[in-house]
Formats: sequence, structure tokens, C-alpha cells
Amino acid sequence: MNALSSSLRSSSLDAVLAHPAIWRGGDCAPEPAAVPTGFAALDAVLPGGGWPQAALTEMLLAREGIGELRLVLPGLARLQADERDVIWIAPPHLPYAPALAAAGLDLRRLVIVRPAATADALWAFEQALRAPECGAAFLWPQGVLDDRATRRLQVAAREGGSWGVLWRRPGQPGIAGAAPLRLALAPAAQQLAVHVVKRRGGEVARPVLLDLDLAPTPSGRSDKDPAGAAAGDRGPPAAAHAGPRCAPGRGSLRGIP
Amino acid sequence: MLWACLLLPRLALDVFARAQAPSAQSAARPFAVTTGGHYPRIVSADAAAAAAGIRAGMLVSAALALAPAVLLRDRDPAGEARALAAVATWATQFTPGVSLAPPDAVLVDIGDSLRLFGGLDTLRTRLQQGAAALGYAARLAIAPTAVAALLLARAGHADTMVRVEALPAALAPLPLALTDADPGIVATLAAAGITTFGAASSLPRAGLARRGGAPLLATLEHALGVRADPRPRFVPPQRYAGRLELPAPVDATEALAFAVQRLVVELAGWLLGRGLGVLELALTLEHEHHLRRHLGTPGSLVRFALAAPAREVPHLLAVLRERLARVTLPGPVEAIVLESTLCAPLAGRNLGLLPGDHDRATVPLLDRLRARLGEDAVTRIAPCAEHRPERAWTGAGLRPAAGNAAAPRSGKKSAPRLPRRAAADTSPSLPLPAGPRPLWLLAEPEPLGARLAARPWVLQDGPERIESGWWDGRDVRRDYFVAESPAGERVWIYRDGRHGFGEGDGEWFVHGLFA
Repeated sequence: MNALSSSLRSSSLDAVLAHPAIWRGGDCAPEPAAVPTGFAALDAVLPGGGWPQAALTEMLLAREGIGELRLVLPGLARLQADERDVIWIAPPHLPYAPALAAAGLDLRRLVIVRPAATADALWAFEQALRAPECGAAFLWPQGVLDDRATRRLQVAAREGGSWGVLWRRPGQPGIAGAAPLRLALAPAAQQLAVHVVKRRGGEVARPVLLDLDLAPTPSGRSDKDPAGAAAGDRGPPAAAHAGPRCAPGRGSLRGIP
Repeated sequence: MLWACLLLPRLALDVFARAQAPSAQSAARPFAVTTGGHYPRIVSADAAAAAAGIRAGMLVSAALALAPAVLLRDRDPAGEARALAAVATWATQFTPGVSLAPPDAVLVDIGDSLRLFGGLDTLRTRLQQGAAALGYAARLAIAPTAVAALLLARAGHADTMVRVEALPAALAPLPLALTDADPGIVATLAAAGITTFGAASSLPRAGLARRGGAPLLATLEHALGVRADPRPRFVPPQRYAGRLELPAPVDATEALAFAVQRLVVELAGWLLGRGLGVLELALTLEHEHHLRRHLGTPGSLVRFALAAPAREVPHLLAVLRERLARVTLPGPVEAIVLESTLCAPLAGRNLGLLPGDHDRATVPLLDRLRARLGEDAVTRIAPCAEHRPERAWTGAGLRPAAGNAAAPRSGKKSAPRLPRRAAADTSPSLPLPAGPRPLWLLAEPEPLGARLAARPWVLQDGPERIESGWWDGRDVRRDYFVAESPAGERVWIYRDGRHGFGEGDGEWFVHGLFA
């Protein structure tokens, strides 16, 4: 849609619109800093062109296991390359070290925190957001956070310059909290549909469809599997090697067509 | 040469009183230290006791008559000597040339440290503030010779004198009684009308020495800088152990935090003097006698560990406070002992280029998290060489060395047709598995059960057979598949083949999510 309107726009209109006094509803508010997500289509709709560096992001999941972590890994790897720590607080499952390492995450800069109580989790999240050495802090909260808590966390993220993500697991309601960016993730035929529910700037009507398996591999491992990536293989990155091992039809999956 | 003398005039009192915050001191009962023995006399009294009229040298009975509520403690000479050594230890952060002047002074040779610490005024302020942070009332005098600094401090002249030429004039009016000389010779001279330093130093030296004043003469010449005055250097201990007795038993951890602060300041001085940072600390909370017997241990032991060597006072304090808040005391605490159990070299910090560069220095996040949430709650993960997926990773503590600790020996994949991955793909330190692995692993595999009935499930990759671990009783025999569920999740499922892979055998489990 944007491309269409820009092609129709005449150059004189461009000149008028370039006037600093004119603000258009579709423009995004400028973000102080953003980390490219690694997905050009997503960067285009996020204010500042990436994950906000001093704000809270809320992720609403339709289901788990749809690529929600693969969506954020390139951004995390980029923050780690900047020598900043990544902190995951109260993850719902075990972060699997071999897979995370294979995906290009520096495990020395990934800290898993498992607090005993919700209050401790919120405290740890706020401390992480405020800490200068922390680049990104993820929290998978138990139960519902009240409005005051999210506002407090948003202030912490803004002051600490950290990318904070509140993960809403399936079934957990999102609330009209203070997070300036809210994304809803849903599976869509081998792809991940990212719906920008809320952002600083105009509304984005249509979800962004991302093909996660074609995601640029993080720096350092980009030469790992050129053949598989070029072939547009739909399987996970390692699946390109699976040819000789995979014997289709041999594994009889009872009840599965 | 330039010597700073740190005189602690209220040492007898401060060894007890410094465990309490000054604000708490004024609110508490008047406090005084006595000589002990049959006719105890007051040695030193705090501000509240002095306000009630209690003076040093007064009989205890008289003091009790003036202020019945006064809290009295017998003097602890051994404790005072320990405290003086602790102050000397703390002062080694400024220079190695520290020497003791018992009973109540520490001499610090600051002549060579002026430039490092930003000049005389800055260093003087740091010494003053440091003594206050340690909890001592201190009198600081600076003079070109050690004895002169000591005499000036004893005389109550908190002077700063840099030039040797100014010494005779400054020392002349001081009474001879201030020196450490034999009281006999001082009395003899006083009988002859010679009471001041100036009068004594103008006497013929040979005559003074012949009449038994050789030690006094040496003191005079040391003070004036005429004779060399080599002093034994104080040697700081190999490991730090500071003990602090509380004036009254304490049963709240918040009140302990202040006492801990005093010891942390000492510890920080010791660390800086030795160029070390602390990694592990042990804090012993000593209980009252009957509780000690009841518990069977001398006290509660609280251990601290830091992620990286540290010696900044605010940092250590913040960690200790958080950790102390989690301690439940079995009973009142009488004394605390702080020990350094593990240290590592820590290079000096670079000075900030711009003003405000130091303001950002805060307590590292991980130390704060660990102090409050516990050591086990904050971990790093690492892959390890093992074929069973649930064992192919380790959750390690935060110490970097522990991260790649003792990965178990890899088992052998028994599935026959598994291709080896090209050697270049996996770096030797990172034994990555060949097949696809999920980012989330379920803590316990979940049986698929009835979910299988829903359609359509799509198999995307597999099977990858993993058969391993028969030697430790946790053997697995599984065929793993990557599957897409009807709802669109991509999951890692396996078919349990412990009882064979025949038709109708083997249950299906979800083991991970390709999140």
C-alpha cells in the first residue's frame, strides 16, 4: 500500500509534505534506538525500524511453538554482539542449550533466572531493565500483571535503555498496559503472522507474514548452510543434512496421515 | 617524607560503639567504657554519657549516680589492639609504609602517594572520611616526620605541615609529657623547669644523653628530622578476617547491616592494598552463649559469592544487604565476623575521563539477582556432549569456569545409518547435535495421547533414532520426528521404543517446541 501511494505521489506534493510542520498520521514516532529484527518486512512496520531499545514490548501468543523465539533470536544475537547480556526470567520451558547455540546465541551472555515468586520475578525484571549491561530482558509472567506494574516496568525500560519483552502465553489475557509496542503472533501456513496490535504511530491493518526458516543466520554462522538456505528449504536449518538419514514412510506414525 | 598520623582518641569506646549507627547511638542509653577490676573507673564516655556529666577517670559508682541508665562495658585491650591493626590494614590502600604507634595511633607514610591520590588535600580528606566510615573518631595530623605527626596529633593540633624547617617552631610549645619517654626523666626535667619540647631541645645534647635522657633525646631528634627514624612496616594479614562486637545483642538483620558496613570498609581497604578483588565471603553471626550451646555451632554462617572479583564498598554492601535480608536469625547476635574466603587479582580501575564517569558504576546486575534470589535461581546454560536430549545441556552457576565443567563422556549413537556431520561444522568446544533441535525442551515429555486423533499432523523431518544410556539405567530408545500439529505448532515428538518398534508398540510423546 505504501509503495502504491508513493508511486502515485507527485514530486510537488513530496515537497509540501517534507515541510517540518506537517505531521502525517501514518508516520511512526521516532524511536531513540532500535535493534534490527533481522526481518526486513517486520523492520518496515516497527517504529525506528526494529525492536525498541528503551521500551517494553508485549508479545501475545496464539500458541506456543510457532516460531516466537526464532522471531527474536536475530535481535538478541545482535545485542549480544554489542556485549550486552540477555536475561530470561521465568521461562515456561527449558531453554535448550544445543539449539540456542546452533541458532547463534552466545550462551555466555544468556542468563536464565528462575525466581520463586511472582514478586521476585517482577523485581528481577525491573532490575534487569534498569541495568546498563543488560540488552534485553524477557519475562514470562505468571498470572496477570496489573496496570501499575507494567507502567513501572515501562519506566524502567525507558530509563535503562533495555529491550523488555513481556510474553503472554496462550490463554493469558493481554491488558491495555503501558507497553508501547504490542505484537500478536499466530501461525499461518508454515509462516508466522505478526500482527502489530499497537505501536507508536499509525495502525497497521494487515499482519506481517514472516518465513522464519529463511531468516538470516546471525553473524559468525552465516556460512553454515548456504545450500539449504539457497534452496529455500522449508525444514529447520539442519534439515538440509537430513536427506540420507530421513527415510520417508519408514517411521509409521500411528494415527498420522 | 611526609607522615600522616591517625590518632584514635576514643578507641576504647569506639571498638564497641562503632557497630551502631551514630543516629542510633544518640537515641540509645548513655554508654561508657571502664577499666574493670575492683575499683573500676571510667576510661571513655560517649556523647550522651558526657552530657550527663560522666568524665574519664571518674569512679563507676559516681558515674552510676549521675546516670543510672548508663551502659558500661569493661575495656577490651586485646580488641583495641585488633582494631588498631584493622585500621592499619585498611590504611595499606594508600601506601605500604604503614606502621603502628600503640596504643591508639597509626602512622601512614603518604609522601610517595600524593600524586596517585590527587594531592595532599584529597588524600587528607580520604583519610578523614575513611576513619569516619570505619566508625572511629580520629584526629589527623600531617608532618614531615613520624614522631612530629604523632606529637601534634596527641597535642590536638590537627595540622598539616609540609616543610621540615617549620617543625622546631611548631613543636616548641608542646609539653614533654606527650612523648613516649620515661616519666622519670620527664619529671626530672620538669623539676628543673624544663617542661616543653622547645626547652628540652635547646639543652646541650651530650649532657642530656649522659643524664639518662638518651631515649628522650632520640625522640627529640626523630621529631625534628635530625636523626633517621626507620620504622617497622605493618604487614597486612594474608586473608581478611574482621570481627565486630555489638554493644547490645541484635535480633534484626537490618540492624546488622550497619555493623557489616564497618567491616566491609575495612575489607575494601585490605583488598585495595593487596590489589585483590573478593569472590567469596563468609559472614559468621555469633550468637549468645546459651543459644550457641543449644545450636551446637558457634554461629550462623552466611556465605556470599560474587560473579566477578569486586572491591567497591557500595557494590559489596548492596550484595550483603540483599543476602542478609533473606537470613532468618535463630536468636540474637552478639558479634559478627567477616572473612574473605576466596580472592582473585583485580587490576586498578581507570580513572574516568569526564566528570560523572564514575556515577554510572553500579552493582553488577547478576550479583544483585543472585544475592536476592539465591545462587541456584540464576544460571547459565551450556550444551554438553551427550546424545540423550534431556542430558545434552547443563545448567551451570555463574562462575565462568564452572560453565564447561565435566561434560559426561558422549555415548555412542547406535542407530546404524546416522551420517556424521562434517567436522568443520561443529567447533570442538561446542558439540552440537546433528539433527534439528527445539528451542524449548519440555521438562518432562508429555504423552500425545488423544491429541493424535486430531488431524492433520504433518511430519517434516525424521526419524532420528536416539538410543543410548543403557549403562546408567536411564536408557532411551526413541525415534524423533519434527511434526506440525493441526493447530500449527511445530513440535519435536518421539515414539518410545524401549519395548520395540513393532506395529502397535510405543507411545508418542512431545519433547520440545520449535518456538
